[in-house]
Amino acid sequence: MKLRLGFIALNDAAAVIVADARGYFAAEGLEVTLSREVSWATIRDKIKVGALDGAHMLAPTALAISLGATGDEPTPLVAPFALNLNGPAITLSSRLATVVGPGATADGLARLIARRRAEGASPLTLAVVFPFSAHNYLLRDWLARAGVDPDQDVRMTIAPPSRMTELLVGGVVEGFCVTEPWDSAAVAAGAGHIAVRGSQFWPRTPDKVFAVTEAWAGAHPDALQALLRALLRAAAWADAPENRPELATLLADAAYVDADPGVIEDSLADMVFHADGASAPAPVHAAWLAAQMMRWGHIPPDVDIAGLAARVYRPDLHAQASAALGLTVVAPPQVLTGFSTQGDFRIADARRHALEAPLSRLATG
Amino acid sequence: MRVLVVDPDPARAALVAEGLAGVEPLEVRHAARFDEVEASVFAPDVIVVASDSPDRDTIESLREATAVSPRPVVMFVDRSEPGLAEAAVRAGVSAYVVDGLSAARVRSVLEVAMSRFQLMNQLRQDLDKAKADLASRKSVERAKALLMKERGLDEDQAYRLLRKLSMDTGRPLGAVAADLLAFAGVLKGDGA
Repeated sequence: MKLRLGFIALNDAAAVIVADARGYFAAEGLEVTLSREVSWATIRDKIKVGALDGAHMLAPTALAISLGATGDEPTPLVAPFALNLNGPAITLSSRLATVVGPGATADGLARLIARRRAEGASPLTLAVVFPFSAHNYLLRDWLARAGVDPDQDVRMTIAPPSRMTELLVGGVVEGFCVTEPWDSAAVAAGAGHIAVRGSQFWPRTPDKVFAVTEAWAGAHPDALQALLRALLRAAAWADAPENRPELATLLADAAYVDADPGVIEDSLADMVFHADGASAPAPVHAAWLAAQMMRWGHIPPDVDIAGLAARVYRPDLHAQASAALGLTVVAPPQVLTGFSTQGDFRIADARRHALEAPLSRLATG
Repeated sequence: MRVLVVDPDPARAALVAEGLAGVEPLEVRHAARFDEVEASVFAPDVIVVASDSPDRDTIESLREATAVSPRPVVMFVDRSEPGLAEAAVRAGVSAYVVDGLSAARVRSVLEVAMSRFQLMNQLRQDLDKAKADLASRKSVERAKALLMKERGLDEDQAYRLLRKLSMDTGRPLGAVAADLLAFAGVLKGDGA
């Protein structure tokens, strides 16, 4: 079967790239054409109209498209595979990092922002990759924990991942949240410092998924299983420490991530593709991200988060592919510990967390 | 109506701009990259963006930033005519309109942009094919010359030998010729 799959130049497209380059798709009888895209908006549009059969996607974008929250008609999606855990980081310009000082919280940044406001200076500009991204919600949560209102106290903007370093060097933005290798690339270029990694306050940070439309999944159940088996083999290969140097070389290719192989190899250190059931999509992750979307008023307060998480995130499809390969099926986590300032997070608590989180837009009505 | 064309490909953008100029009184501007300050000065009614422009996500997000941008760029075009947006996506073009513009006027802009994108794709494909054909003809000429010299054949015999190799292996003549040249190169020690 011929398939077109889209991806964006990031480390977390590893499973898709490896499955193609190492012949795992071909071994399943799939004739895959990878299509490197340069914007999440284009990935969304192509998935919606069927110009792509499946794609590397920001997990919150998959939820937003399913709800129609990206400003168009809802298109239900299915995310049967989590492409990575960990990988996003918050990077500040070297100049700003010096002023803010060390520490994994945004307290130093909050003091600087207060001082700048008192002096009448313009707000700092911080960039993320897309509104519906783990990056936007990580950065917002990090700022909010220190009392910084992301919509009032800073200027949030959107920029493509591969341009972040250049924007930092040019002084267009003072900081950003993006997935590797683009944080490490900014550090290697001498432009920035990594202030905090997502994994330091959302341990095993959910980030990208592999998504198809619900209609496509329904029409092609066998092809979807074949895809998942190939992705599983690829994720296992990519996770093995002995394969990381080769993975870095592969990703560095101009056709894929197109960045320095040494930088990529270092930047992969924190990232998980397979270990401990990492690639099984955990509905509790979907619920956590949806709670963040609700917290900031990006989705209506009456969205049924549990229903959304169950419909989009499909660990059952993943388990079927795992079992077919003879892999141990690891049940996805039910509880997220260490994510929220309001204690453990469970799907049933999603709305309460959205309401009680710092600076929640639900609380202010 | 002011139209901003954001396209990293200057030739294609020029083609789109030229096509749009014929539609109705329009002021068309082209930028390889989107610049928020320049864009707000120009105040476009429509932004046409190539789907291979990395600036798409930035442009799309401006609707989130109404407090900052005095003239927010909004909404993916066209709910009035299903199929148009799909055709546009497949042609590699997307458009954003500013509130208040009628769907019909946007549609004409989008249709012109799409047709020009398709035209450009066709031109590129034709060019690639012409280049490949030329390369293939050159290989065949060189392979013939090689056979004539090494095997003492005349031109017609050399060509017929290549044809036979092509038919026996089921591969194009140009590919067989290129293989022969590469093989001869290896024997002579080139590139080894």
